[in-house]
Amino acid sequence: MMRKFFTVFRKEAIDNLRDRRTLFTVLFFGPLFGPLFYTMMMNTVINRQIADLDQPLKLAVVHAERAPGLMDFFRQHNVVIEAAPADPQDAVRTGRRDVVLSVPADYAAAFGDGRPAPLQLVMDKSREKAQKDVERARDLLDNYSRSIATLRLLARGVDPRAGEPLAIEEADVSTPQSRAVLLLGMMPYFFLFAAILGAFYLAIDTTAGERERGSLEPLLTTAAPRGTLVAGKLAAVTLFSAVSLGLDVAALVWCQRFIPAAKVGIALDFSAATALATFLVCAPFCLFIAALLSVVASFTKSYKEAQTWLSFIMILPLVPVLGMILYPVEPAWWMMLFPSLSQDVLVTSLIKGEPLKGSFVALSVLSTLAAGAVLSFVADWLYRREQILG
Amino acid sequence: MIEVTDLRKDFGAVQAVRGVTFSAPDGRITGLLGPNGAGKSTTLRIVSTVLKPGAGAVRVDGVDVLADPGAARLALGVLPHQSGLYPRLTARENIRYFGELNGLTGAALARRVDELVEMLEIGEFADRPAKGFSQGQKIKVALARALVHSPRNLVLDEPTNGLDVMATRALRALIRKLKDAGHCVLFSSHVMQEVAALCDSIVIIAEGRIVARGTVDEIRRQTGEQDLEEAFVKAVLSNQEAAA
Repeated sequence: MMRKFFTVFRKEAIDNLRDRRTLFTVLFFGPLFGPLFYTMMMNTVINRQIADLDQPLKLAVVHAERAPGLMDFFRQHNVVIEAAPADPQDAVRTGRRDVVLSVPADYAAAFGDGRPAPLQLVMDKSREKAQKDVERARDLLDNYSRSIATLRLLARGVDPRAGEPLAIEEADVSTPQSRAVLLLGMMPYFFLFAAILGAFYLAIDTTAGERERGSLEPLLTTAAPRGTLVAGKLAAVTLFSAVSLGLDVAALVWCQRFIPAAKVGIALDFSAATALATFLVCAPFCLFIAALLSVVASFTKSYKEAQTWLSFIMILPLVPVLGMILYPVEPAWWMMLFPSLSQDVLVTSLIKGEPLKGSFVALSVLSTLAAGAVLSFVADWLYRREQILG
Repeated sequence: MIEVTDLRKDFGAVQAVRGVTFSAPDGRITGLLGPNGAGKSTTLRIVSTVLKPGAGAVRVDGVDVLADPGAARLALGVLPHQSGLYPRLTARENIRYFGELNGLTGAALARRVDELVEMLEIGEFADRPAKGFSQGQKIKVALARALVHSPRNLVLDEPTNGLDVMATRALRALIRKLKDAGHCVLFSSHVMQEVAALCDSIVIIAEGRIVARGTVDEIRRQTGEQDLEEAFVKAVLSNQEAAA
């Protein structure tokens, strides 16, 4: 019995290792897509943030000569005043300028009289990229306005603090590690994605593919019990899924060094120990997804049809993960009952550096394995029916 | 020895097999002859345990296939309609896999595989992946795979389909050799000449029923036709008239 189980397992593993597409998916695409995509994305985002902060703000001003005081203030605050384009509105609309400041003729008079002095800031709120500069210009103007107000109050003998009825202090309790979740929020998604991709082609090849090739019928005439055939196949699919997951986790450990997270005050510490814990927490999901994909593929009539169905089915486990990204809620015990959601919650905790609750881990492992076992029994039942021949 | 008793099988509203009874003794080649869709493949698939009969019984060497499918499978070697080799495995690996699934191991398995490679003249392509095999090469390997556990009974579903003349002749010679070795060979075909050239006894089947049976000469006598093809057509047509 055991010997035949290993025979089926070994055959499916070797057979599929000889398939280039499967090999590529399990060894490269599945495991590396997440970490590489992620590293590149984070590098771009962080570098742009840092670059923007250091770079002087280039601000085009129409009639800069009308507000010399403001211009001095700007220059002290790392702003380069540039000549304004002929048509500021058009320049901003067409994206040649991110923001243009216009000083009206009556600015100086109003400023001198102590009335609100008009200024016009031309911007395009629909352009995401321009908002950084718009915000910086706006903040500087607010600062200038506040400091002038303070000076005026002092000149009139009024305590300037009267103009600030509230003193708000922000106390940020996030740790450099918990801020890492902002960066790593997508990673649990990529881990599960790698596990699914690892199982994908094998689940099809060992079921719908086997039938389409016509090898299922002779296979079923051998003296190997159906349950043994199913178990061997599922074991092979689970193994490939786990290999893809393991490589994915390892790839992230290696890739994180290329993310300059420290520059934005975030500690990325996905250590080898965290990686191992992540792998172990996610491992039961490999059996679950192997059984799920195999069962669905067993119902389909051909390799092509199986691919179509599985492409759809493989999105399902990712729905709760995406939900958690969009609507983050506190971990609760009932989440541990759902495969993929429970792994997502636990891995997010691991990345945050929070201690895992033993009861949560146990519940997650048990519920995922139980779901995998139920699906395995369904697969076994399917192979006992003569309809499996299609 | 394969005994089929009053076999019936429905697929929904379609009655594929409606009461088929025959026996295929050891040391003889029994041919199941009939037009396409007559129920030959369904009958053979029930015999080879991948379909379950709606009613009736199949015994292989006295073992009921429903009561003990495991024992029946060990006594059967099956060459299904499609050769169904694993394209990424070599010929030898294909044969080995089925040997292991049928309980062979170690030196005994290696010896048996070598034996079959020699007997079926597979040597030249034994270690190449099955993907590029010709139809003839595929049938040879599939036959070796069916024989790997030395079953006494052989079920061959249209084995000469898609073979050229030389390959067909080689296969016929092989089937005769197996018969001479005492095997029970049950095979299906829709080609008269095929059956006439090879079989000791013929079972003609049409629309799920047996319409004639016996040796070539007996069937000629029953139908009153000298030409076997005419005899076949007559038997099939008379069945249709009886049904109408």
